[in-house]
Amino acid sequence: MFILKNALISIARNKGRNILIGIIILVIACASTIALAINNTASDLIDSYQSTYDKELTITFNRENMIKDFDFSNREKMEDMKNKFDNVSSYTISDVEKFGNSDYIESYYYTYNVSLNGNNIDKAESEVSNNSFNMPGPPGSDKGMRSSKTSYDFTLNGYSSLDAMSEFIEGTYKMVEITDGAWDKAFDGNYIFINEELASYNNIKINDTVKFEDESGNIYKFTVIGIYKENESNSSGPSGLFANSANTIITNADALIAITKAHSSVNGFVDPTFIINDYADKDKIQAEFYDKGLDESYAVETNEEVATAGLSSIKNVQSFATTFLIITLVIGGVVLFVINAINIRERKYEIGVLRTIGISKSKLTIQFVSELLIVGFVALLAGAGIGAAMSKDVSNSLLASEINSTKESSEQIKGNFGGPGGFGPMEGNSPAKDFAEKGRPKVEAYESIDAVVNIGVLLELLGIGLTLILISSLASMISIQRFTPLAILKERS
Amino acid sequence: MKKNNKILLSIKNASYQYNDAEEGEYALKNVSFDFEKGKIYAIRGRSGTGKTTLLSLISGLERCTEGDIIFDGKNLKDVNLDYYRSHDIGIVFQSYNLLPFMTASENIILSMDASGLKVPNKRTTTLELMKSVGLKESYANRKVLRLSGGEQQRVAIARSLSYDPKMIVADEPTGNLDKQTEEEILDIFKNLAHKEGKCVIIVTHSANVCDQADIVYNLKKVA
Repeated sequence: MFILKNALISIARNKGRNILIGIIILVIACASTIALAINNTASDLIDSYQSTYDKELTITFNRENMIKDFDFSNREKMEDMKNKFDNVSSYTISDVEKFGNSDYIESYYYTYNVSLNGNNIDKAESEVSNNSFNMPGPPGSDKGMRSSKTSYDFTLNGYSSLDAMSEFIEGTYKMVEITDGAWDKAFDGNYIFINEELASYNNIKINDTVKFEDESGNIYKFTVIGIYKENESNSSGPSGLFANSANTIITNADALIAITKAHSSVNGFVDPTFIINDYADKDKIQAEFYDKGLDESYAVETNEEVATAGLSSIKNVQSFATTFLIITLVIGGVVLFVINAINIRERKYEIGVLRTIGISKSKLTIQFVSELLIVGFVALLAGAGIGAAMSKDVSNSLLASEINSTKESSEQIKGNFGGPGGFGPMEGNSPAKDFAEKGRPKVEAYESIDAVVNIGVLLELLGIGLTLILISSLASMISIQRFTPLAILKERS
Repeated sequence: MKKNNKILLSIKNASYQYNDAEEGEYALKNVSFDFEKGKIYAIRGRSGTGKTTLLSLISGLERCTEGDIIFDGKNLKDVNLDYYRSHDIGIVFQSYNLLPFMTASENIILSMDASGLKVPNKRTTTLELMKSVGLKESYANRKVLRLSGGEQQRVAIARSLSYDPKMIVADEPTGNLDKQTEEEILDIFKNLAHKEGKCVIIVTHSANVCDQADIVYNLKKVA
């Protein structure tokens, strides 16, 4: 108890020095509070933002890998290259099921795609069609790589589940007319959604039956349960040119799988999407897929880049806050250490006397550390209060400055290339709701951060502050251990 | 041989070497003395004979590198020296070694606190101690720097008595004082030894102190 009393007496006695120490800790605490608040709030926002996206992993064709050793100057070898592409072993639905059975994968869905010609329906002529499957591409075919050069009228996209219907979820397509209970039927039988333009072109209405046929003349009947339209912005401009268009028919995967099973003349290919737990598992998943039989001509890709694209400004602010916090702590820690070292030198005589009258090294250490802790704790509280009051304004000001800088950079790009100026900040303080109103994934950024000092920030600050104080007290601790009372008193004499 | 129960402190072949000393270089070598309760001892010797070193060994500020120091039957090698200094022995220095930012009474109370002894009324005990060494009550609240050398030395003595130690060790306690004050201080020490039965050891150059001591030990320079 008398140690604490001595500590309080010493604090009162050394007002000037303790006020200086207090101001330094206050500044550190204030800066740290702001930095921690920004950091934590930014982390929460990033988590919240990312939680609006599934962590998706898809299988893509690894062209780079395929052509890496290929000599393009040798024309004779071009045929080899073509054969190499044609002979890529594809993956099937049962492969996808095997791939999906992994500890790294939460769930998966897929689209199963089939191309057919119309029987009682004509393709919409305005379309820029690319319905033939004569490109070696990423999707897997149930019957090997697509070698047919036949051009079909329609692409039927069969979804394994509602989750797979990304065009609707992302807003690329919008339902304009739909029968009651259509969403339930959509996965149970030969039901389809067709494009508004196609419906109009063929005068097709809801509940009409549409027939398709394959090369061998087999007829497949489907009932129209919904009419969708493509978003305007999607169908215009370069991005709309090659996107799914009027002749794309939406149905369920089971209906198409049944067709390809029954008729070997119909090719289908599967395009899976895996929902993974962590983007960091990408390489492990790829290795596991290869082990499970995926041809190494394929690779896996995640949507991490898209999912984090709108966070660049906030990540920059977070990164700045973290760097600022580290610099503040390092400089503050060094300054505190030096002040303490000077303090100890000035109080050497006092230490000598106290040791002489029998106060142990440990008690003296406790006294000196207590002095710093008391001053530090008061300064920490004051600094936290000031930091809390300032954090919102400072964080928003930093973010605004960062956004302006991004905008300027975007404008510069736009000016130089005439294209869209990158991902600008959108409205509100919430993650994107309409993910892709304009035909490609639109990334909505944050324009305010509202860094809040909560109990978590205060606890972090307390932890950091106490650690800093204890580290800077090392000067006292070491000195007290090294000083011998007799030497100190002799020096004084 | 009959054991002398009056012996409080016994130094047996004590030697001391500094850490950085060369081989065979001793600050103190093979010193053996006994100190009894109720007597004043003077230790004298020329500069460099190891008087202060001996005092630091007796007062538990250092441990002897060879030999033993037995206090009240216990070897100081086996004793916690912090406890020893705060309970068993009072140390008085030539330069007083008081804390200048504290008052006279605060210096004395600090020493009581350090000993951990339960003193019912520290303030009253402090005033009594101050009175016993000839200090006025009004000095209690004075910062020690505002006291004269003699008064500061009295505070230092009062401080050393605050936890009622069995032995008082003083290093040139009158070295900075005038003749009259020296006499007064010596009277306090004589009183402590002869009336209160404490063992008082004074390291000194002063012939007067040696004259008034019960026993004088001479230290000679280490050969």
